[in-house]
Amino acid sequence: MARAISAAVASIVVLLSAGGARAETPRDALVMAWNLDALITFDPAQIGEVNGADIIVGNVCSTLVQYDPKDTSKILPGMAESWSSSPDGLTLTFKLRSDLKFPDGTPATAEDAAWSMQRAVLLGYFSSSNLTQWGFNKEQITDQIQAPDATTLVLKLSKPYPAPLLLSAAFANNSVAVILSKAVGLKNEKVVDGKSDLGNAFFKTGPVCVGPYHVTRWNANDVVTLERNEIYFGPKPNLKRIIIRHVPESSAERLLLEKGDVDVARLLNTDDLKALESNKDIHIEQTLIHGLSYLALNTNDPILGNAKVREAMRYLIDYDGLKDTILPYKGVPRADLVPEGAFGALDRKEGQPFSLDLVKAKQLLTEAGYPDGFSKKMILGANDIAPAIAQHIATNAAKVGIKLELEQMADANLFTRGRNRDFEVQLVGWYSGYPDADAMVNRFAVDPDPRPEAKLVAVPVWRTGWQNTDINAKAEAARLEQDPEKRAEMYREIQTFMMHNGPMVFIYQFVRPIAVRTSVKGFVIAPFGVNYGSASK
Amino acid sequence: MRLSVLKALARQAGSVATTLLGLLALTFFMGRMLPTDPVLAIVGDQADQATHDMVYHQLGLDKPLYMQFFLYIRSMLSGDFGNALFTGHRVADDLMKVFPATVELATFAIIIGVGVGVPLGVLAAVYRGSIIDHVARVVGLLGYSTPSFWLGLMGLILFYATLGWVGGPGRLDVAYMDSIDTHTGFTTIDALLDGDMDVFWNAVRHIVLPASILGYTSMAYISRMTRSFMLEQMAQEYMVAARVKGLSGWAVIRRHAFRNILVQLVTVIALAYAFLLEGAVLTETVFAWPGFGHYLVSGLLAGDMNAVLACVLLVGIIFIGLNLLTDVLYRLLDPRTR
Repeated sequence: MARAISAAVASIVVLLSAGGARAETPRDALVMAWNLDALITFDPAQIGEVNGADIIVGNVCSTLVQYDPKDTSKILPGMAESWSSSPDGLTLTFKLRSDLKFPDGTPATAEDAAWSMQRAVLLGYFSSSNLTQWGFNKEQITDQIQAPDATTLVLKLSKPYPAPLLLSAAFANNSVAVILSKAVGLKNEKVVDGKSDLGNAFFKTGPVCVGPYHVTRWNANDVVTLERNEIYFGPKPNLKRIIIRHVPESSAERLLLEKGDVDVARLLNTDDLKALESNKDIHIEQTLIHGLSYLALNTNDPILGNAKVREAMRYLIDYDGLKDTILPYKGVPRADLVPEGAFGALDRKEGQPFSLDLVKAKQLLTEAGYPDGFSKKMILGANDIAPAIAQHIATNAAKVGIKLELEQMADANLFTRGRNRDFEVQLVGWYSGYPDADAMVNRFAVDPDPRPEAKLVAVPVWRTGWQNTDINAKAEAARLEQDPEKRAEMYREIQTFMMHNGPMVFIYQFVRPIAVRTSVKGFVIAPFGVNYGSASK
Repeated sequence: MRLSVLKALARQAGSVATTLLGLLALTFFMGRMLPTDPVLAIVGDQADQATHDMVYHQLGLDKPLYMQFFLYIRSMLSGDFGNALFTGHRVADDLMKVFPATVELATFAIIIGVGVGVPLGVLAAVYRGSIIDHVARVVGLLGYSTPSFWLGLMGLILFYATLGWVGGPGRLDVAYMDSIDTHTGFTTIDALLDGDMDVFWNAVRHIVLPASILGYTSMAYISRMTRSFMLEQMAQEYMVAARVKGLSGWAVIRRHAFRNILVQLVTVIALAYAFLLEGAVLTETVFAWPGFGHYLVSGLLAGDMNAVLACVLLVGIIFIGLNLLTDVLYRLLDPRTR
């Protein structure tokens, strides 16, 4: 009996191991493991989260211009080979390449480009703000963006914004600066309540774009496959296929990577990254990206509305200590609202002048009239290091009499609470849209209308109820300043003021760790885009 | 006679429909009371109020609750389950992909659970108090109490990473992913239909570990129940009578005791299978198994009622269907009901 069982087990094992034990990824494909839970659309006009933007922008849909991967302050040509501003600064003209083609070989023209941008504004999803914040609007959009001939795209501006700012903010590596096929979009449009969806339902699962790859498969919460476009105008992508597997668990991802069943792992937690450090076959690429983690302090609360209390809380964070304990692979301490690497940002030292100082915190609290501290609730999300950060702050706060009660929740709840101003202290993060101080200043310093009924829910500073009209005016002036030196100086002044008076306590800037097998060569990973086509093996 | 059968059938169908409707109503209204805003799952934290309001309207969330429920039921009856907000796909399409993945896993798991659990339970009962009984108890207790998440990870480290006996997370190696067509959604069956044995064995390599881990938990439950059913029967007087009649020990166990526990056992197995079919979110997460459990929980966290309601309906149907099936099996197994 026992012999029979062991024989059976042995034969099963033999059969299993014989069943194609190919622990290697295909030579012509890049296989990535990632958490694809947040992915809901591939329509560039609708994309509002990290997965979709990473896959589509630059990889499936090329953009008019692009950031230099090594220096995001430089703009390089993309589908537009050149651009120019009119002398009055109110017209921006792009000259497109004449060899742009969609994956099926039909030529892509400036008319497609104009339509793609117009539809982003008309559909009105989140990414439309990349255009509407510069004065483009639903009513006038067909006049504001025009294609006089097949390779010329003309944009009419409402104010003479500096061209470098505009290019960086709306046309480089941006999901609204792509070329979708107008013909395919209109052929597949759906009309709901008498309103066309401009191909949204169709493009959701696979946009027809000018780009190095196109989407061939997307099984929700399972896998996304991209296939190379052989007629792409730019440098030919090295690998024929990109396969992105949904692997929602860090340890499982690590095993797949170690075993060589995937080439790239993108969702590893600190422990797994640490464990991979000694593996010679794996390289961990850490990129400082333009996102920040911060505490939002609701200034409608009488205690948190006191600037001295907020200043006291800045001294409760042990920035130096965090760097070595919780932040390895995940972040770099930063107290400034503009991420390092953006135009006009304070440098690393200026951007982080605080240190843990309980005596100073206590003194500030006493001056504010709360020598014995107070109690507040802090809400936070499920991000892997958020609980540790929250715990760190609460522990230090307790030492000066501030009792912070922590409440962890799903991200959707955390966001709802923030947008409804339904919080006292919120620990949350934010990705900046473009590498210019303007992006963060206009969300974290400028509050045009702090009244609750204004409902500026996409403006984090509004959520805290804080406003400073002087800052509003300075930010608007900076936006229109043509001299780059002066513009940078104006932003620096705003940042310094906000660091001590604003309603946010910034904690760290995000680092994006990507673990790559050393068999993959030439993979270009930049703050605003991971270039799949650059990888080879 | 025939009329009464029809009446009984109609009553049965009516009660099934009422149960399902009640289930849907309860889920719908409870779900809508959650503080989660489903629109945020679509537009994200950076969207402004206009975008939010537009999507809110598109989804019909501005209508009164009872109206939303009515509209949902109406389109559901016409076969339209709507779009899953958190995946961007049609719910029906999503379920066609995730449910077969879970059924395949659950079926392998229940085969393992029954194949090991029932003999183990019988042996433990027959050799009560012996070493076999103790081993069975300890193995069972471990199955109950070990978190499947941990067990899955340890299994992966040992059998996949170290020994290389089984495949890693996922249903197939990447190299095989495009080599077969989807007929049924069951990878093993699709591979057989295409006659591709390489893919078939690769699929088996991938399913064997998660199925064993799920099967282990069911095995623990099934073997404990089998043991107690058997003990109950073996204490009956007819067992003594059968022995006196001259039947050998094993023949008595097989023909009398075991046959008499079949009805109860079928119920236990059906329940265990139903629980497996609901999907095991932790196991699915560790094994990157694109299954039903992970889908349902993700939908719930995003406040996506379209997806959640369809899932709840499906679970309801599974339970009712398995209940009906056990009723039929009772008739076959229990001579008194013939």
